[in-house]
Amino acid sequence: MDRIGLRFCSGLLAMASVVASSTPIFEVAQPRGLDFTHQNSPTPQKYLIETMGGGVALLDYNNDGLLDIFLVNSGKLTSPMQTPENFGRHEPLYWNRLFRQNRDGSFTDVTAAAGLSNAGDGNYGMGVAVGDYDNDGYADLYVTSYGKNILYHNNGDGTFTDVTAKAGVAGGGWSVSAGFFDYDNDGKLDLFVTRYMDWDLKHSKTCGGEWHTYCPPEEFPATTNILYHNNGDGTFTDVSPQSGIAAKKGRALGVAFADYDEDGFTDIFVANDGMQQYLFRNNGNGTFTERGLEAGAALSEDGRRLSGMGVVFQDYDNDGKPDVIVTELPREIYGVYRNEGGGSFSYRSLETGLGMLSSGSSGWGVGLEDFDNDGWKDLFVAQGHVLDNVEQIDPSLRYREMPLFAMNQHGRFEKADASVSLPLVARGAAFGDLNNDGWQDVVMTVLGGRPQVFLNRGGKQHWLTVNLRGTRSNRDGLGARVRVNGQTRVATTAGSYLSASDKRVHFGLGTAETAKVEILWPSGIRQILNDVHADQILEIREPERP
Amino acid sequence: MILALLLFLLAARGQSPEALQHMQAGAEAEKNRHFEAAIAEFRKLTELEPTAPAGFVSLGQAYLENHDYGGAVPPLKQALKLDPDSVPAHRLLGYALLAQGRSTEAIPHLEKAQDSAALGIAQLESGQLQEAVTNLQAALAKHPNDPDLLYYFGRASGLLSKQSIDTLLATYPDSARAHQAMAENYYVLRQMPQAEKEFQQAIEQRPEMPKLHLELGLVYAGTSQWAKAEEAFRTETKLQPGNAEAAYRLGHALLQQGRIPEARDELGRADKLQPEMPETLYSLGKAASLSGDNTSAEKAWLKVVEIEKESDLAAQAHFALAALYRKQGKTENAEQEMAKFKQLQHTPATSEVPQK
Repeated sequence: MDRIGLRFCSGLLAMASVVASSTPIFEVAQPRGLDFTHQNSPTPQKYLIETMGGGVALLDYNNDGLLDIFLVNSGKLTSPMQTPENFGRHEPLYWNRLFRQNRDGSFTDVTAAAGLSNAGDGNYGMGVAVGDYDNDGYADLYVTSYGKNILYHNNGDGTFTDVTAKAGVAGGGWSVSAGFFDYDNDGKLDLFVTRYMDWDLKHSKTCGGEWHTYCPPEEFPATTNILYHNNGDGTFTDVSPQSGIAAKKGRALGVAFADYDEDGFTDIFVANDGMQQYLFRNNGNGTFTERGLEAGAALSEDGRRLSGMGVVFQDYDNDGKPDVIVTELPREIYGVYRNEGGGSFSYRSLETGLGMLSSGSSGWGVGLEDFDNDGWKDLFVAQGHVLDNVEQIDPSLRYREMPLFAMNQHGRFEKADASVSLPLVARGAAFGDLNNDGWQDVVMTVLGGRPQVFLNRGGKQHWLTVNLRGTRSNRDGLGARVRVNGQTRVATTAGSYLSASDKRVHFGLGTAETAKVEILWPSGIRQILNDVHADQILEIREPERP
Repeated sequence: MILALLLFLLAARGQSPEALQHMQAGAEAEKNRHFEAAIAEFRKLTELEPTAPAGFVSLGQAYLENHDYGGAVPPLKQALKLDPDSVPAHRLLGYALLAQGRSTEAIPHLEKAQDSAALGIAQLESGQLQEAVTNLQAALAKHPNDPDLLYYFGRASGLLSKQSIDTLLATYPDSARAHQAMAENYYVLRQMPQAEKEFQQAIEQRPEMPKLHLELGLVYAGTSQWAKAEEAFRTETKLQPGNAEAAYRLGHALLQQGRIPEARDELGRADKLQPEMPETLYSLGKAASLSGDNTSAEKAWLKVVEIEKESDLAAQAHFALAALYRKQGKTENAEQEMAKFKQLQHTPATSEVPQK
């Protein structure tokens, strides 16, 4: 082939590559039977809770191998609200909903049969955490609210029991995101609950003068988060004061867990709204020290406070160390904190391209998942502004937004087509492989709307999904560090915003047909599996002995 | 002063002891802020000495001090009838008229009194904006930190500017300058789509007019449209290669897009055009740091904190230095910089629970 021919050919190849990359990865589906509309009941009073709800969880509650979907509803608000506060949660319109996935990809609403129908009239629903806190092999649910939170124990027969009172985890105030993790490596999942602020309906107010808007967080006092220690007998103890967690008041919305300093103990990153972010370093003795500022993960590059909302604590640059990405309000660009090792982070929003992609957006639920199985974790962010009249106040901003979907090109994020045709006011986002095809899917909630299911169209790259089975560690293996062919993931269901993701750990393998799997279990046990075949969901059981 | 003058005049003219008694009683009452008593005493004085202008001046002043501006006018006018060149009478009458909103009448008296501050205010109130700006500027030269003068000067300048713009818009509504003026107004009001449209119309007519592209770039930057901002700033730098601000803005827009080497080049150019501009140095430090050139980053940020001691930019530079030192493992330096950063923060970014 002559030089001109070569040039022509390379042009064609380039064009083909453009066409291939322009094919959307997702198909936005409306699976049959997933009949849910979030009820937030906006009022002229602009009660802040109205604009903050919409949790979602992906879990296999009946262990049939298929992910089911749990959606948190909010409740009924009247204008103005009367006391005692009644959010009408006994009415079916305001129930949380559990949808069991059927073999054909459709869903069946099993809320009533599962005993999850009434979340309490005094509770305006927010988020959900998932974890097998009693190690019985069945995923339990913890639902957060403005009001009281509820722990639902999975009975293993398709039903749940409200065990909140016995467990002692009702919380109180305004709880938002929560997550299960094992902070003391005793093999039992503990529980961390974020609380937004010291706010209640009686002390609600509007801001913005004639614009009549929801108030910013600075208008209300900060509050503390809650850490519950799992006693192993179905009860928990609130250890917030003695652990040091309650020593810091904040305005928390998101929480994620990872062992950032590789000392064998899981640390906590809390996304705070309108202030510095908190990084609670686990001291390994049941206490935590807030190290956000010292570690370089508390503020923006310019030392400005952030409107932290959602958070993900995973390794975006494949250097083996968990990094942090925090979603925020417009003009603040989402924060990328790269873990530099030695307990410190550097701010990388500009270099990674995320600054450019996020400066006009409001981000909530967030996940780092390898959607194209090329071995690099891509980014998905549920977006939509807090203020329903933001366009009148600042015409350059949008209330409804497209979600951000960005492909990771060796540590730099490049925008891709998320396949959504209409902008939405999105909040929660949960990640997992709904149809077990090896390609990660997303369920995103919409404030006052129907959830969006992003089904991954798949491709030719190889993959491996690891289903951890802890023995000495907690049964879900949460907190385990899993390395596959040079990529690292922390096993967790927490992160994002108000949401809980598939506990299984997914890796894209690119062209590799086999994988080396290395697991560092929370118990400290290291496990290595060589020549694992690609394209399978592999259950890995923790060795009983080191 | 007026009292001393009055005493001197009365004594020189050999007036009655009764008049002197009322004059002294009035002065005493005025000193003790018993203005109604002072008014009564000075009135008796003017009845006893109807040809002495100083007595009427004192009476007018007492009325003024009692905030009875209408009452002050007749005695002060009488004083001027008796002595048309009395500077105190002109000044006080000017004040009295101005206080009643009769600014046009006040102006000639204040001119005679050569009271540039009050004259400027009177001119501002009567719409003589150009003259008001001149006189208030002169008054400010004598009292540079007077908040009232600063306020009136700002108001006069603003109104003068508005007047010019209104004239421009009325006379040449479709001119490039009219579109620019409209765009600037929209920009201040954060109505960015309208601002963008007006700037573009201005550019269409006079694409080579300085600053238009720079301002359009600021509209895009204000809405985080960095690629468009870059294009506008780049055009401005071509039109004005010696404009340091345009170079800085272009560098900043490139930085926001993560195009670090290009940003660094442009910020370096801005620094050469106008050395020691703290904003440029701060961004230059950022670009250097992102390129892995810690030495240049440190140098730029140290320069910022040398120039700016207590500003937000100084706080940012301390924060950046702390991050840099932390990355280099210089823990002690990092802690020192973080302490300086915390010191400069206006409000704490965190909320500690008080320890019992």
